[in-house]
Order: sequence, then C-alpha cells, then structure tokens
Amino acid sequence: MSSAALTHDEHAGHASAPPHVAKFGMIMFLASEAMLFAGLIGGYIVLRLAQPEWPPAGAPHLPVLLTGINTIFLVTSSFTLHFAEVQVNKGKTGLFLLLVTIGLGALFVGVQCYEWYHLHHEGLWFNTHGVYGSSFFVMTGFHGLHVIIGVLLIIWVFLRQLLTRCYTPTRHASLANVSLYWHFVDVVWLFLFSIVYLWR
Amino acid sequence: MSAITAEPPHIEDHAHHEDVGFIRKYLWTYDHKMIGLQYLWTALAFLFLGGGLALLVRYQLAWPNTEVPILGQFLPATVASDGAIIPGGYNMLVTMHATVMVFFVVMPLLIGAFGNYLIPLQIGAGDMAFPLLNELSYWLYFISGIILLAAFFVPGGAPGTGWTAYAPLSAVEAYNGTRMGQSLWGIAIFINGLSSIAGATNYITTVVNMRAPGMSMFRMPLTIWSLFITAILLVLAVPVLSAAAAMLFCDLNLGTSFFKPAGGGQPLLWQHLFWFFGHPEVYIMILPAMGMSSDILAVFSRKPIFGYKAMVYAMVAIGFLGFIVWGHHMFVSGMNLTLSAAFGISTMFIAVPSAIKTFNWMGTVWRGSIEFTTAMCFSLAFVSMFVIGGLSGIFMASTPVDLFVHHTYFIVAHIHYVLFGGSILSIFGAIYFWFPKMFGRMLNETLGKVHFFLTLIFFNMAFFPMHNLGLGGMMRRIADPPIYEHLKQLQPLNQISTIGAIGLGFTTFIFIWNIIISLRNGKKAPNNPWNANTLEWTVASPPGHGNFPKTPIVYHGAYEYSVPGMEKDFLPQTEKAPEHVKLEAH
Amino acid sequence: MKFLLLIFTVIAAGLVPAEANSLYWAPPNVTVGGRQIDGILNFIFWLTVIVFFLTQIVYVYYLIKYRRKPGVKAHYSHGNNFLEIIWTTIPVAIFLGLGIYSNRVWADLHRTPPPDAIQVNIFSYQYGWEMRYGGADNQLGRTDIAQISTASKFGVPAEDLAGKDDFTSTELVIPYGKPVHVLLNSRDVIHSFYVPSFRLYQDAVPGRTISWVWFEVERAGNFELACSQLCGIGHYNMKAPIRVVSPEEYAVWYAGKVKAAAEAAQVEVPANNPSEKVAKNGPAT
Ligand code: HEA
Ligand code: HEA
Ligand code: CUA
Ligand SMILES: [Cu+2]
Repeated sequence: MSSAALTHDEHAGHASAPPHVAKFGMIMFLASEAMLFAGLIGGYIVLRLAQPEWPPAGAPHLPVLLTGINTIFLVTSSFTLHFAEVQVNKGKTGLFLLLVTIGLGALFVGVQCYEWYHLHHEGLWFNTHGVYGSSFFVMTGFHGLHVIIGVLLIIWVFLRQLLTRCYTPTRHASLANVSLYWHFVDVVWLFLFSIVYLWR
Repeated sequence: MSAITAEPPHIEDHAHHEDVGFIRKYLWTYDHKMIGLQYLWTALAFLFLGGGLALLVRYQLAWPNTEVPILGQFLPATVASDGAIIPGGYNMLVTMHATVMVFFVVMPLLIGAFGNYLIPLQIGAGDMAFPLLNELSYWLYFISGIILLAAFFVPGGAPGTGWTAYAPLSAVEAYNGTRMGQSLWGIAIFINGLSSIAGATNYITTVVNMRAPGMSMFRMPLTIWSLFITAILLVLAVPVLSAAAAMLFCDLNLGTSFFKPAGGGQPLLWQHLFWFFGHPEVYIMILPAMGMSSDILAVFSRKPIFGYKAMVYAMVAIGFLGFIVWGHHMFVSGMNLTLSAAFGISTMFIAVPSAIKTFNWMGTVWRGSIEFTTAMCFSLAFVSMFVIGGLSGIFMASTPVDLFVHHTYFIVAHIHYVLFGGSILSIFGAIYFWFPKMFGRMLNETLGKVHFFLTLIFFNMAFFPMHNLGLGGMMRRIADPPIYEHLKQLQPLNQISTIGAIGLGFTTFIFIWNIIISLRNGKKAPNNPWNANTLEWTVASPPGHGNFPKTPIVYHGAYEYSVPGMEKDFLPQTEKAPEHVKLEAH
Repeated sequence: MKFLLLIFTVIAAGLVPAEANSLYWAPPNVTVGGRQIDGILNFIFWLTVIVFFLTQIVYVYYLIKYRRKPGVKAHYSHGNNFLEIIWTTIPVAIFLGLGIYSNRVWADLHRTPPPDAIQVNIFSYQYGWEMRYGGADNQLGRTDIAQISTASKFGVPAEDLAGKDDFTSTELVIPYGKPVHVLLNSRDVIHSFYVPSFRLYQDAVPGRTISWVWFEVERAGNFELACSQLCGIGHYNMKAPIRVVSPEEYAVWYAGKVKAAAEAAQVEVPANNPSEKVAKNGPAT
C-alpha cells in the first residue's frame, strides 16, 4: 500500500459520487428500509389475524380522527418539500417551503407524541393489552423515529441552503435524496395509518 | 454506460508524502482496499475466537464435565465452574460460537473483505461509490462485535438460546436467565445488520454504476456476479432480521408481547421472521464462495469457465428461490402441515441450481491443464465438500426424513459441510489466490499444501462422524450426551470428532505462521503471478490508491484462457484479441 | 489428486459399516410409520451415495487425467447448451419425483388418527414431562390454553366432566399394536417430543395444542423421551422414560392408575383438578 497515494482522499472528497449514483444508492437503502417495515407489518398482520377481538376488551380505541388530520399534515409536507425542490430547480432558494416542511414534520411528531401521552394516560402502553399495545407502540415508534431523522435531515438541508446557498438547479443531490427519503417515510405512514388505524 | 472511474490526478510523484498518519491510513480510511483488509484481519481474529469456542464445545462433548485443560481456568463463572463446563455455559458457548462464525467471520470475510477488495478492482473502478459509508460499515461491524462479546461479562452471562434464539425462551427473562446478555445479542445483530445493509447498498450501486468502459454485465467475473446477487439478498433479507431483533429487544426490555403467548403473541412468528432472513442468509454465505472458487478453478485449469451464463442464471435462481424455502427449517415446528409440504417441494427445487453449478465446475476442469496450487486445491476440495453438504441437505428437504433427523447432529454435519467445507475452504483458497495482490508477497506453497491436506483430513474427521451421530439419535445443543442411554455407545464417535476438531485448530496455526513469515520475507509478487485475466492483475501488487493509473478499457469476458492460435494461454480483459483469433461466444 | 482418493476411501470406509452396523446407523425402528420413513431414508441414502460417487469419480478422474503436462494446452470451450439442458432437466425430474414421494409419505403419516387411538396429553415444562391419560372414562378433559396456571396445570376447565377422572404419570406407558394419539402442550417455552426409535419429532409450542401426532409401536421395549429443542439450562437433561408393553400389561397398569386416582380424589375434597394429587403419588409402576 503506497501511503503516498492516500493523501488523494483529501482532494477527491468522499461525497463525490455523482447525483444519479447517489440517488441509486438511496433507492437501494430505501428498499432495505421497506423490508424492515414489511417485517414489522407482516408480523402485525399475523398476530392480529389470530386475535379473537381487536382492540381487546377494555383497551382504549385509537384516535382515528386526530391521526387522520395528522396524516394530512405529513402528506402536505411531502408536497411542500417537493415544491421546494422544484423551486431550487428553477434557480430559487426554496427556503420558505423547506421551512414549512420542517414545521409540518415537527407538527406531525408533536401530535404523535401527544397521542402516545394520551394513550399512555388511558392505560395503553408497550406492556399493556398484549400485542395490541406492543404492535401499536413499536410500529408507530419505529416510524416516528424515521420522521424525526427526516426532520433533522431537512433542518440540515435548510441550514446549508440558508448559510451557503449551495443548491443550484444543477447541483442539489443531497436535497434530492433527503426529499426521496421523506417521501418514502410518508408512503410508509400511509400503509401504517390504514393498517393500524383504519383496519377495524 | 457511464463509467466514473476516478483517475487519480497525480499518482507518480507522491512517493515521499509522510503526512498520512497512522489513523488515516489504517483506522479511518476511505480506500476500499484498506477497508477490505480491516475486515480481513478483524474477521480472522474472530475466526480464532469462534474456533476456540467450538473447541470448548467439542471438548465438553467428548469428555463431559471434566476440567478443560489450560483454557478451563480462564472461563467466566457463568460458563464453567472449577474449569469444567456447566450446562448453562455450554449453551452460551454454542450460541456464541455460531453467532460469531456466521455474523462475524463468514459474512465479513466473504462480503466485507473480498467484496470490498475485489469489486472495484475487478470492475475497473477507482473505489466504491460511497467510500465514507464503506468505512462506516466496517466500524459498525467492529462495534457490534464488541457488543456481542460484552455479553460474556454481564450479569447472567451470554445468551444461551442458540444462534436461532427461538422465542419465547429468548424473549422472557424468567426462562433464559440473562436479559442483559440476550439484549446485547439483539443489539449486536441489529448493528451488524446496519453494517451489512450499508455495505450491500454500496456494492449494488458500485456494480451497477461504476463499471469500466466495455465491462458489460455479462463480461463480469463470476466473483462479481456472486457478490452482486449476495448484496441484493442482503438488502432484502437482513432488515427483516433487524425488525425481529427489535421486537425481541422490546419483549425483553419494554414488556411487549410479540412472542409471548400470554399476551396474544406467537412463538412461531419469531421463527418465520428469523428464517425468512435465515435461509437467504445461508446462501449469502455460500454464493460469494461459489463465485470465487469458480474463478480460481478457471485460472488454474487454464480454461474458460464452463457455461458462464448458466452459472449466472443459476445464482440468480438461487437468490430468488432462496426467499421461498424458509419453511424447511420449520417442518416440525407446529407450522401448518400443508405449508410444510409446499416448502418441501420448493426446497427440492432450490437444489437444482446448485446441481447445475456442480456440473459446470466439473465441466471447467474437464480437458483443462490443471495446476495444483494451494489455492486450486482448496477450490477443488470446496466442490467436493459442498457436494457432501448439499446431498445431506436433500435428506432434510424430504419432509418425512426431517421428521426423524430434525434437530440432530445430522443437521450439525450439514451445517459444517456447507459452511466450513464450503465457505471456509473457499475463503482459504481465495486468501492463497489474492494474498499476492493484497500484500505484494507470495504465500509459501509448501506450508500451504501442508495446511491444505491437514485441514481436509481433520475437517472430515471432525464432521463426518456427525452424520452417524445424528442418525444414531444425538440431539443438537445437549451438554452431556452420555446421560442418554442410546447415546452412550456413540461416545467414541464424539471423541473422534473432537480429536479432529483439535487437529483443525492446530492446523490453523500453520496458516497463521504462513501468513506471518510470508508477509515478512515471502517471495515478491509480480503484478500477475497466476497469469489471470481479470482487471486486478493488470495493476501493481498491491495496487496504488485509485487502483488504475488509467481507466481500463475492457474488450471481452474474464475467461479467455487457452485461446487457440495464441502464443500465451491467457488474454487479459484489457487486451484486444489479436486479429487472427476468434473468441467463442458464450 | 491422491488426497481426493484418500478422502473417498475414508468416506467409503465410513459409509459401508454405517449401513451394515446399526450402531453407527439409526437405532432400530419400532413404529409402523417409521418403516415408511426408513424406506425413504434408505432411498435417499442410496440415491445420494450413487450421485456422490458418480460425480466424484468423474471429477477425480478428470483431475488426474488433465493435470498439467508440458506441451499440452487446455481445450478452449465456453460450454455446451445441450449439456446444460440435460443436467438441468435430470435433477429437476429426480427432485420432483422425490418431492412427490416425500409428500405422499408425509400426508400418510399425518392422516387423521383412528377413532380408537389411545389419547395421551403430554405436557412439557422447564424441565420435565407430564403425561395425562383419560382415566376411567377413557376421555381426556379438553385443555383450554388460557386456563393453564399453577393451580390448573393442564388447563382443563372445572366444568369439563371428562377431565375429572384423568390421571397423570411421569413415564409414558403405551401398548404395542395400538395407535397412540398424543396431544402436545407446553407451559413455558418450546420443547419437543423426540424419540429416535419412533422416527418422530414434534415441537410442543406454548399457547397451543399440537394434535396431529400419532403412531403405532410394533413391539415392547424401553425407550427415552428426549426434549430436542433448546429450552434453557436444563434442556440437556429433560427426558422421561417410555415403556411399551403388551396390551394386557397396559390394561393392568391403566386400571391401577385409575384406582389410585379415584382413591386420591376421595381422600381430599374434590379440587379443581384431581390429577394433580396423583402426580405427587408418583407413577404406580
Ligand atoms: C452455506 C450454507 C448452506 C447451504 C448452501 C445449504 C444448502 C441446502 N440446505 Fe441447508 N442449512 C444450513 C446452511 C446451508 N444449507 C444451515 C446453517 C442450517 C441449520 C440452521 C440451524 O438450524 O441452525 C441448514 C439447515 C437446513 C435444513 C433444515 C433442517 C432441519 O433443521 O431440520 C434443510 C431442510 O430442508 C436444509 C436443506 C438444504 C438444501 C436442500 C440445500 C441445497 O441448496 C443443497 C444443494 C446442493 C446439492 C444437492 C449438491 C450438488 C448437486 C449435485 C451433485 C446434483 C445431483 C444431486 C441429486 C440428484 C440428489 N438445510
Ligand atoms: C459459520 C461457520 C461455522 C464454522 C466455521 C464452524 C466451525 C466449527 N464448529 Fe460450528 N456451528 C455453526 C457454524 C460454524 N461452525 C453453527 C451455525 C452452529 C449451530 C449453532 C446452534 O445450534 O445454535 C454450529 C454448531 C456447532 C456444534 C454443535 C453444538 C451443539 O449443537 O451442541 C459443534 C459441535 O461440535 C460445532 C463445532 C465446530 C467446530 C469444531 C468447528 C471448527 O471448524 C473450528 C476450527 C477451529 C479453528 C479454525 C480455530 C482455531 C483456533 C485455535 C486453535 C485457537 C484457540 C484459541 C483460543 C481459545 C483463543 N459447531
Ligand atoms: Cu425442553 Cu429442551
Ligand atoms: Cu435453509
């Protein structure tokens, strides 16, 4: 190993994969994320089909309406992020729409937190009412974690744009990938929402 | 196809740069070759550890409840008392042995070490698509290893539930006695999974997007094809295990009841999730071994691989079918009987592509000009040992026979014939083959041959008797076989097996010794010591940073050996065939 | 190449006595269904032995014949599609046949147990076994999984009259020549019912009753019931004796157990589950 050549790292930088390659990688990563949720959802369906009643007697019902509204927030945020990207494509900053996306994402997390708190208060938790509690909290928890990571990523993108204006119509790979991730989290939520809240 | 091979801007005049510190060179590097070597050394260390655990297991089976010589004193109190292994400790040893071997030895060696080292070099790329992710994946692997080993030292000790960690034993502290240990196992598996996914994402992206000009998919060496398919299996299978491990962790620590019948959970759900991962996993552990051995067979037979496309399609078929046979681990688990029958049929079919591959390997050596280097010997033995392991798989694939042999040593024999006789032998072959490229020195052939013969003999001595033990009715994972009346008479077989295993252990020292002396004063390796065709042999040994001084251009497939009408018997992929010779289409 | 010849001899040397000598082959089979299993086991054994030796002899022959010789160049060939088709279709045919044969036997082994089969409920727990028999009326009380508790060890509801006279035993006693239907339960983790001489393995899964296992033993003998599913620290030692006796002997034993159970029930106030006390008296062997 010629140690000399290693200095090359500093020049090349590691984030140098061209946009379409980075995007391809992101899609592969999301495929594995999809399998993660497929595992959770598959498990949930198997467990649930074997239950005599759902929700089990005495267990609180899930707040469908509130979560329905929350779903609208999340879906909207996907659109705002998409249009932020469109704006960047047009040579604008997209800062405002990014900010709105962050707000909506944070709102979603906030409402989910409130919901957890509320259900906990009503006696539903990881360790109560058997698989009903288990599956609800673990699935929404896993998804919530993904949303939080997404919001942090969008904040990072926002700050980069705010401070350095680094995204141009031709160069905005990280923005495009973050937005791909965000759409994915959104789609997963639609699955979770229909299967956890709407299926009764 | 867009090749974005990095041509390092100024490679020649860097000779005196001393400013790359130790850390940047060995610990946090973005160079795929160095990352590959990080994987190699770490995984070899784990091989020693996993082998050491296996030897303890074997010792207990041959001479139960007697003091383990030398090592006994160093075992933690959860494993041994007065130097003799206790039943709970035995379970821990088995569990940790298998977990270490599967997740920390075979996968990292095949995928981490050879995958990293060979993919960019063989497709003509300067590096992986995401070097940072690559290094991250190594460190995630490293950390998960530390977390796993930490389980030996927590209250309650290491998990003793087998590498399959069947719930509810694994999910309830009252049953397994070590919430901490089992949780650490779950965390280690989860983090190790992240590492695998990071690596696999990188490989797929690299293979699809960064091939050198002219390197079409059907010109790639089989090594690359196998790693590529393996990476796809990883991306699809590993996350399911991660989900299961997360559920297990919650059951243990947050009081959820995914796998506890009392709360409406289902023990069989764990098995379905585990084996949905677990079966693709066993092919993950054999495909790259098949790929590398195919290449080595072709090189030392001086012949094109027989049926290149058939080989590729067979691997694709294995990858696909691998996802629909997981139920063969659960024939007698309480799963629906009709489902068992269906899984029995699909399992029969997955043996077909392996058969195709076996016959093509035989076709490859047919009418060759075979040179028995150590690398070749290991690859040849790989084929034979894999056939034995595969054929024992046919017994178990037959549902009624599995009713008898399930969970006996017959399965243990199968495991080790495919995983040691398959994967590990192939890995040894690959190390002998690519060592010159990696370190610029040849390994000693004489020591290599000794290593090979002793490995083969002791391996068969250690594992062949297990078939008989299994048919004789010896259950897996029992700490003290002679307490069963029908197993007393089989004890001599257990002792033969243990002696073989100890021999295998000592033989490994020959290998280590060979590596040490060859690194210090082995013969200097030329660029292309084996007269092979693939791209890595066109550059220096070891290759410089950025791999290729000039982006290589590929003119044909990797297997143009002994082309009629040519002086030399090989034709590197970067060399145009002379005007007068015609290459056969494949 | 000599090395490969060497392993062949070693393996061949291992195989021949394996078939000839039951010590290093399976223990003698004693059940009716086991004969079918042995049939298919032997069939696959010879199939694989033939495949193994055919492939390996050809392989080693090639290795010797085509070793490097000065001046001899390898044959240049990328393969042969005709051959590929041959060696794809032949294994497909073999495996399809084998799969169908296997599933026939599988279905046959799991056909519904005959109505006159003796029913035994086998309960497993960390780390032991309890067998429950139907008692005087030859009827097992039905296990309700949800009711299994320390008070009701078999989960038989108090109102189930068939369960009142059930008795338990720590050894499995069965007559030969009669079908035996076992119902498998577990109180904690997964255990398994494994008797090599019966050619039988089945997991006992907590939370449900496995009801499809039945067999018919052909001759008397003493065997060991082994738990073959890793179930914790005591797994290695989780066993119970099995006694296969003549139907007459079985009837005597059974009557003795019924009597003991009835006496025990009279001595004490009828409790939730009379069988419990019998268990404490130990098996009346
Ligand atoms: C590298 C790993 C690897 C590989 C490649 C395989 C390959 C195969 N395995 Fe194996 N298997 C494991 C690793 C592997 N296995 C492990 C680790 C376990 C245990 C897990 C545990 O419980 O801990 C296991 C367990 C296991 C079981 C469950 C047993 C039980 O628990 O009861 C079964 C059952 O069907 C099975 C079947 C097969 C089959 C049919 C193949 C086939 O793919 C083999 C195909 C190959 C050939 C058949 C040989 C070559 C072919 C010819 C020469 C052609 C002609 C042949 C004929 C016409 C017969 N395996
Ligand atoms: C993945 C590959 C792999 C490999 C390579 C091995 C290698 C070996 N394995 Fe293992 N094994 C498994 C995977 C593997 N195993 C799996 C998946 C199981 C199932 C576990 C379960 O039931 O859950 C299993 C189970 C298993 C059992 C069954 C335990 C039981 O059911 O009770 C046994 C018993 O003999 C065994 C033995 C061995 C031996 C002797 C080796 C030998 O090949 C090892 C040879 C040794 C070396 C190459 C290292 C030499 C090192 C030294 C001499 C140094 C000693 C140093 C120190 C102690 C620090 N293994
Ligand atoms: Cu019960 Cu093993
Ligand atoms: Cu499998």
